[in-house]
Amino acid sequence: MAEPLILGLESSCDDTAAALVRGRDVLSSVVEGQNSLHAAYGGVVPEIAARAHAERLDLCVERALDEASVTLADVDAIAATAGPGLIGGVLSGVMMAKALSAALGKPLIGVNHLAGHALTPRLTDGLAYPYLMLLVSGGHCQFLIVRGPQDFTRLGGTIDDAPGEAFDKTARLLGLPQPGGPSVEIEARNGDETLYRFPRPLLDRPGCDLSFSGLKTALMRQRDQIIADRDGLTRADRAALCAGFQAAVRDVLAEKTRRAIGLYMNETPTEPAFAVAGGVAANMAIRTALESVCINFGIRFTAPPLRLCTDNAAMIAYAGGELLAAGVSHDMSLQARPRWPLDRRAAPLVGHGKKGAKS
Amino acid sequence: MILAFDTSTSHVIAALLDGDRLFTRNEEMGRGQAERLMPLLEEILLEAGARWQDITRIGVGVGPGNFTGIRISVSTARGLALGLRVPAVGVSTFEVIHHGTPQAEAAVPAPRQQVYTCTPGGTPVLIEPHEGLTLPPAGAAWAAAIARVAAAKTPDQRPAPLYVRPADAAPSKEPPPVILDDAGIGAPNDT
Repeated sequence: MAEPLILGLESSCDDTAAALVRGRDVLSSVVEGQNSLHAAYGGVVPEIAARAHAERLDLCVERALDEASVTLADVDAIAATAGPGLIGGVLSGVMMAKALSAALGKPLIGVNHLAGHALTPRLTDGLAYPYLMLLVSGGHCQFLIVRGPQDFTRLGGTIDDAPGEAFDKTARLLGLPQPGGPSVEIEARNGDETLYRFPRPLLDRPGCDLSFSGLKTALMRQRDQIIADRDGLTRADRAALCAGFQAAVRDVLAEKTRRAIGLYMNETPTEPAFAVAGGVAANMAIRTALESVCINFGIRFTAPPLRLCTDNAAMIAYAGGELLAAGVSHDMSLQARPRWPLDRRAAPLVGHGKKGAKS
Repeated sequence: MILAFDTSTSHVIAALLDGDRLFTRNEEMGRGQAERLMPLLEEILLEAGARWQDITRIGVGVGPGNFTGIRISVSTARGLALGLRVPAVGVSTFEVIHHGTPQAEAAVPAPRQQVYTCTPGGTPVLIEPHEGLTLPPAGAAWAAAIARVAAAKTPDQRPAPLYVRPADAAPSKEPPPVILDDAGIGAPNDT
């Protein structure tokens, strides 16, 4: 019998997405971004994002069905991101999924957005459990040993901001367009990374935790110093600031990856592999540094292609398929959750108020 | 057979209209609408002895009201329309009020003691309340009115929230730095 056809929905941040996946075959993956809607605000505005999701999600589903040349009647199960993320968007996806599930009489599967990212290397490269994962994006940064679709061990993560946020902030501070990752990377190519030296936070402490908020402040201070000296930034200054900042992020991620691999290898996995996913994985300087760490350890390095690395619904459909195979489905009381850590045993790093860990 | 529902304020209400048979539900609810809505719709179908596939049209309350609440229902309605291949029709709370009292200056409570108002055929506005406004009916009548208005309307566009208020968002206050023109600086021939 053919593997089930899963419809995936994703709406947890500023991308509205729908996809159809059968096993490891991505039949279609539609992603509608919202960059232009948020451009004037210097970041994603939750209410604006929620408004867009509510009126776009069904259109994305229709496009995904068309592109895959299938109909809803062919769909075997509906998987939707049920958190963590901006709750307004997550709610739209969860309600749309519930409605489709009821109307079609097909199972509903609530998927953790982070699990979607973390399982992507199985979709793209067929990695065997357990593998080591660095999830690094605008909203997240954590090292996970992925043991199964619901079994994750967090080795460490950021105690404040995610690197993607730091890239965005850097772009804002330097008058570069959003999203900051690509603009800072392009700028950094023409800059001398040794001109301005930025701190490498937490490298002096053991473990795999990371911190990026001090780096943002250091960049702002350096910028203000230059502006105070010359009444503005030259393009060469800007390129050097970008290069110096990117080098600091790269060095921190590479060193923490080295430590995480060390811990992972203590478990003597049979097919050792490291995967990096999330928008920041698109940065070639960072990617190259991580790859060389893996080469030193002699373990396999994978990075899913960018379209499956950034937010998308194919990863949600794929994760939904793994959960379905493991006997997981949800009823109509499925909750949309703004906070939903993957590893519930690990101590919370960010957002440990009474509402619990964020991710 | 028309299924109508609304979560635009602190309630989950629904009506199932099938010829001259009418079933309604009205639950006051501050939180948890997203978890309650679908089970409540299943209950009303069960009471009527109907299945999802018997539904021929969806009517959904589009507000104005609580932004998140409106989106819960609108997303559900659009999903049901897609899955059942039936039209979904958005019905504003003003249309609900005008269904009962056609000439009224319809008013819906808004945050900070203000009201959203709308005259028949007019444009909704957000104002301070004054005398002579007509508020929405009680839950069951409200849901039934959505079903009846949806039945009469041409389903020519997908339901969309009626927000009236723009999203709360302020443009970035941080001005970008002045970039000095330094063509040549850092280039190999720079001396």
